[in-house]
Amino acid sequence: MRIERLLVGAGKALAVAAILFWSLFPILFIAISSLKPGQDIFAVPPKWLFTPTLKHYAELWRSWGVFFEALLNSLLITVGATLLAIVASACAGYVYSRHSSRWLSASIVGLIVVRLIPPIVVTLPLFPIVNALGLSDTHLVLILLYATFFVSLGTVLMRTFMDQIPRELDEAASIDGASRMTILFKVIAPLAMPGVLAVAVFVIVFSWNEFLFAFIFTATRAKTAPLVISEMIGSIDGVDWGILFAASTVQLVPVLLFVVFMNRYLVAGLTAGSTKG
Amino acid sequence: MQSERTARILPLLAPVHLLILSVIVLPSLYVIWLSLNTSSFGQAPSFVGVQNYMRVLADPAFHSALLNTVVLVVVAVHLELAVGLGMALLFASGLPFRRFLLVAVLAPYAVSEVTAVVMWRFLFDPDAGPVTLALRALSLPTLDWSFEPSHAMVLIGLLTVWLHLPFTFVIVYAARLAIPAELYEAARIDGATRWQAFRRVTLPLLGPAMLIALLFRYIFAFRLFSEAWLLTKGGPARSTEVVAIYLYQEAFSFNAFGSAAATAWIMVVVSLLLAGGYVLLLRRGGISHAH
Amino acid sequence: MSNKPATDVTRRGFMAGAAGAAVALATGPALSAGKTLNVLSHKVHQTVLGSGDGDLLKDWRKANEAEITFTTFDSNPLQDRLFREASLKETEYGVGYLIDNRPTSQIAALFEPLDAYQKQDPIEDFGDIAPGLVQGMTVDGKLIGIPVRHATQGLFYNEALLEEAGISAPPTTLEELIEQARKTTFTSKAGTPVTGMVLASDLAVFPVMFARAYGGDFISPDLKLVPDRAALEGGLSALRGMFESGSLPRSYATTKNDDQVTWLQQGRAAFTVLPFARGAQLNNPEQSKFAGKIRAVEFPITAGLKGKMPMAAVVEAWAMSIPKNAKDKALAWSFIKEVSSKRVTLGMAVNGNGPVRVSTYADEGLKAKNALAAIEAKVLATARGAFPPFPDAARAQATFLEEVQLAVLGRKPVKDAVSAIIERVKPMMPA
Repeated sequence: MRIERLLVGAGKALAVAAILFWSLFPILFIAISSLKPGQDIFAVPPKWLFTPTLKHYAELWRSWGVFFEALLNSLLITVGATLLAIVASACAGYVYSRHSSRWLSASIVGLIVVRLIPPIVVTLPLFPIVNALGLSDTHLVLILLYATFFVSLGTVLMRTFMDQIPRELDEAASIDGASRMTILFKVIAPLAMPGVLAVAVFVIVFSWNEFLFAFIFTATRAKTAPLVISEMIGSIDGVDWGILFAASTVQLVPVLLFVVFMNRYLVAGLTAGSTKG
Repeated sequence: MQSERTARILPLLAPVHLLILSVIVLPSLYVIWLSLNTSSFGQAPSFVGVQNYMRVLADPAFHSALLNTVVLVVVAVHLELAVGLGMALLFASGLPFRRFLLVAVLAPYAVSEVTAVVMWRFLFDPDAGPVTLALRALSLPTLDWSFEPSHAMVLIGLLTVWLHLPFTFVIVYAARLAIPAELYEAARIDGATRWQAFRRVTLPLLGPAMLIALLFRYIFAFRLFSEAWLLTKGGPARSTEVVAIYLYQEAFSFNAFGSAAATAWIMVVVSLLLAGGYVLLLRRGGISHAH
Repeated sequence: MSNKPATDVTRRGFMAGAAGAAVALATGPALSAGKTLNVLSHKVHQTVLGSGDGDLLKDWRKANEAEITFTTFDSNPLQDRLFREASLKETEYGVGYLIDNRPTSQIAALFEPLDAYQKQDPIEDFGDIAPGLVQGMTVDGKLIGIPVRHATQGLFYNEALLEEAGISAPPTTLEELIEQARKTTFTSKAGTPVTGMVLASDLAVFPVMFARAYGGDFISPDLKLVPDRAALEGGLSALRGMFESGSLPRSYATTKNDDQVTWLQQGRAAFTVLPFARGAQLNNPEQSKFAGKIRAVEFPITAGLKGKMPMAAVVEAWAMSIPKNAKDKALAWSFIKEVSSKRVTLGMAVNGNGPVRVSTYADEGLKAKNALAAIEAKVLATARGAFPPFPDAARAQATFLEEVQLAVLGRKPVKDAVSAIIERVKPMMPA
């Protein structure tokens, strides 16, 4: 009996170790390699002991100033897309939660169907349209795109979370003479905070990491960080992998920390968004 | 009364629907028009009917891209589900530091495709990659992905699983946590073995969640692009091309917008069919499982 | 007030990122108050213009009160992006770098004809710019680009590794090259596994060079598809043989242009084919383990043809062009004029650019700094483009490479691959 328990324990420990290795090793390896002196990165066999250096980060700062500008662009676009997606989804989600009609149920099915359209499909026609509107290479175009590809999920999520808020609250506020907008933003939204945060996690992670749209719709002024990293892959000379690792690490760390801190909302959002959608 | 209500809720609905209409729906309809014409840079479109569709559907390169995509989707997504299920059960069986472990498992969710490719390309570098060297040191077969198309597909699959396992895991794990402990208690009292409890309690109750996870992953894996593009560019000799890469090549390398648009609509239709099929399954199977 | 919850979220989540980005904004490159010229190019085009004190366009910036912003891409994506930009109603880019095998009549129509500019405000000693290169940028009688760089392919070798393998002189025939590549496929004294030769598999340049060593071609300048079948078969069989014997890396199918540089610098390969202008980078002591040991010669022709005909190496030329929909064309022309001047051409050559002016090669300072200049000038005399431009050229190149890879990897007999190339590319050729 005791042996069996020991075996089970050992098996579990092994499984946990495997899971940790699988999930974290690639991330840690890149972060650590970004601190290795240039020639040690490609050393055969790999060097596990080395003198850490910030050389690649300094080099990144010196020769890839555009990367840091791109980080700022990523930040602005992420904030903009998140605000837009949350406000739009909260408004629509509130309607879907509090009202029902044939048209509304039909339109929510429409929202779900829209999620099925692969984003690459709209890149073809959008490029000339965006340009005709003078929006090419602006932060606004990416904000609109990123927000749009998440408002359908956002709406469904907000409805799910708002469904759990008793209607009596709306009615009480309404009797007190509060307007619909006031009810939504003063009464409902604070209570639906887990939903707001869940939507925020999705949009933020997506906007911060997105590549395809950024590649097609930006050129110089609104270039985002993943785009610059992909350019580095394409145009880096020789063994400058260290700079590439440094840039990858800088791009990754903020969003990784964010996901770590917000993991509860991510889990809640993933669960609600897929099972109720 | 009805119209008054409409007037009140319309402003709240408008932002979401306007965004979707102008950014997704109308452009997608415009793609249909593009797909019925032939056009390129500096060349005015001319109407050709369904010729672009015929051409794409008859192209051996499209067939192989489609086959690659289907194999990748089927294998990677089911593997992901199996591993996700195993992990969910392990977590549910009680683990120390569960919150920390959960966060660790979620970590790849934060990684962008570009960064993930930098990582995995380097780890599996055929000459200097640490994983390759470790496998070689243990006399295990290495992934010869730069030479063998099948190995390249394995690497693309692994990368996809790595990026999306957090999603599948969370869905299944949440569903597992929602199963009341009393059910297992009852099964134990009835003398059920662990395996029987798994077969009779866990699996049926997880069914709907697993189906949902599969549906989403099928649809998202079908549009897979960045991983394959940044790792192999579809090579060697176009043998690891997936449908989205085929579309990209037609549009941006060969500037054939007509056949690119046709490919785009084929993708849309397949996605909708996949979803439709699963929704049907869900309606029939899901509800009966959920008692 | 209404969106307070949302701001809270983003503020909290992005504390760390925001701090870094704010610093970047404060200290990043200063934004100019005057005009900005946006240039779409390859990274290397920007690099050769120098930076800081060595900035060759310092005076131009000052005189025009203009800043230059480069957007850089790898070659093929760069061309895709340039054409996409040029096909719009208006573009931010004033100057785009155009490669010589892309301008078909349709593409050329997207760019400003430059003859009038040249007449009104001429480039210094225009006749000095290699006439062949100017010809390549003249489409339908209109000059659409001013040549700025040529990349002439040479054979680079690692002298130290050759010595280790007991080889005293670089090859003078293709047969010798194959033999030497076989000999240098070994483990070096440093313990590094060495592959005889490293070549990228996604560029038509290399199979075309091998075909030309046998006197053949993929598509000749007069648009003949595979003018000499036996020669192409000879070239592909040679590549196949090298792959089979291990003198090409097993990762051939995913090897890229940049990998060639890395492998040579690290001593992981003894031979490669790259533009002569890469010599400086290959011997850069900060990156290379074999600085000063990597030399170049003309790519050798087969023994049977040696002395009978010259080797036609592949030369790729770049030109500066102005999209028809550009905003400030006068500023763009002023930039082009400055970059084409004798002074800047020489300065770029010193920085590792293949100069387009005949006079630049005669410069004593350049000869002293760039030992390869003389060899390059000789090779350039008989060099020509990889293939001529035509509407379906990109698709033809992709098809060609697909079959070449199948043949080299041994998935298809060479003869069948050549048949497939002829059969599949034929419908893509202009009527």
